[in-house]
Amino acid sequence: MKRIEIDPITRLEGHGKITIFLNEQGEVDNVYLQIPELRGFEKFVEGLPVEEIPRVVPRICGV
Amino acid sequence: MKLKFGIYWGAACGGCDVAILDTHEKILEIADMADIFLWPLAMDFKYKKIRALEDNYLDASFFSGAIRNSENEEIARLLRRKSKVMVALGACAHIGGIPGLANMYTREDVLNRVYRESESTINEEGIIPREAWSEGEYELELPRFYNTVKTLDQIINVEYYIPGCPPVPLQIYSALTLVRDGMLPPKGSVIGAGDRALCEQCPRVKEEKKLTGIKRVHEVIPDPEKCLLEQGLICLGPVTRSGCGSRCIKSGVPCRGCYGPVDDVKDQGFAMLSALASSLDAKEQKDIDAIIDTIEDPLRTLHRFSLAASMLRRKKV
Repeated sequence: MKRIEIDPITRLEGHGKITIFLNEQGEVDNVYLQIPELRGFEKFVEGLPVEEIPRVVPRICGV
Repeated sequence: MKLKFGIYWGAACGGCDVAILDTHEKILEIADMADIFLWPLAMDFKYKKIRALEDNYLDASFFSGAIRNSENEEIARLLRRKSKVMVALGACAHIGGIPGLANMYTREDVLNRVYRESESTINEEGIIPREAWSEGEYELELPRFYNTVKTLDQIINVEYYIPGCPPVPLQIYSALTLVRDGMLPPKGSVIGAGDRALCEQCPRVKEEKKLTGIKRVHEVIPDPEKCLLEQGLICLGPVTRSGCGSRCIKSGVPCRGCYGPVDDVKDQGFAMLSALASSLDAKEQKDIDAIIDTIEDPLRTLHRFSLAASMLRRKKV
């Protein structure tokens, strides 16, 4: 099975990769979108003083 | 001859890339000075093109973002091999930045919270991302999510650092002109920033620091003319490198240290702790303890951007 990787994909904010599998006839058999990035804001803002949250979460996305 | 640049983001928000674009019309000068070979935020190049380059082909690469997973590390090492000069761009690559706060937890803590426990997630089977997955003939891989967030120079040799979250656009531009004009300072230098503490540039009036307690923002309406620290608000100005243009302080918001420590300070958070200790208006141990107890969340306040680069580095695992 032939495999085509588009890595990285660039028309998005963040990290992504697309893997395309082709069958014997060269037709698309299956396509996967993968998001390889995680930082974990959900965890490390826990317990932070509430007034500090607006100083941390803008760093989720700066685009 | 035109230079050759690579620009990349690891565990980042893209704010450093946008800060490059925020040089506005100067972006045309940047385009004149260098051809870009990688810049996922703004242009469409693939990793395999970079892998195919000769070693040291690029004159300089600018890496923003922390090292959070094996892909960040792999691309950092790849760009190191392909670049004559490696520049850490922004607080995350420089000192770990906000993503470095995850070093208070383990890998499992983070993955469980995000994929299994978060209120907005439905994940009945409790699946978390796996490094390898297969179904029949389909095989996929994901990067390894590390236990510890690292700064760029904990992974590869870094020649220069452009600090800030985000760096001031004109500071990035001036750092790029140093590359263009062959005017780079000794290796290991911070470029595109000042060499003094932010306090020395702060327009607020400073008198004697006699702290009787640390206040939270809802407990005080700060005098707009006076030093924020003297008014009881923790401000990292005394230990933070200048160069930001005092953006936060001018807006009435105390510094959280995104420009990193001044020269010769190893640990920004501990330096601030030391500065606080010498500013307390108390002599007796119990009075000192009472003031210290008013510091809300000292770790994430004093090491807000620098935990990954600090002596603490991470929670013991």
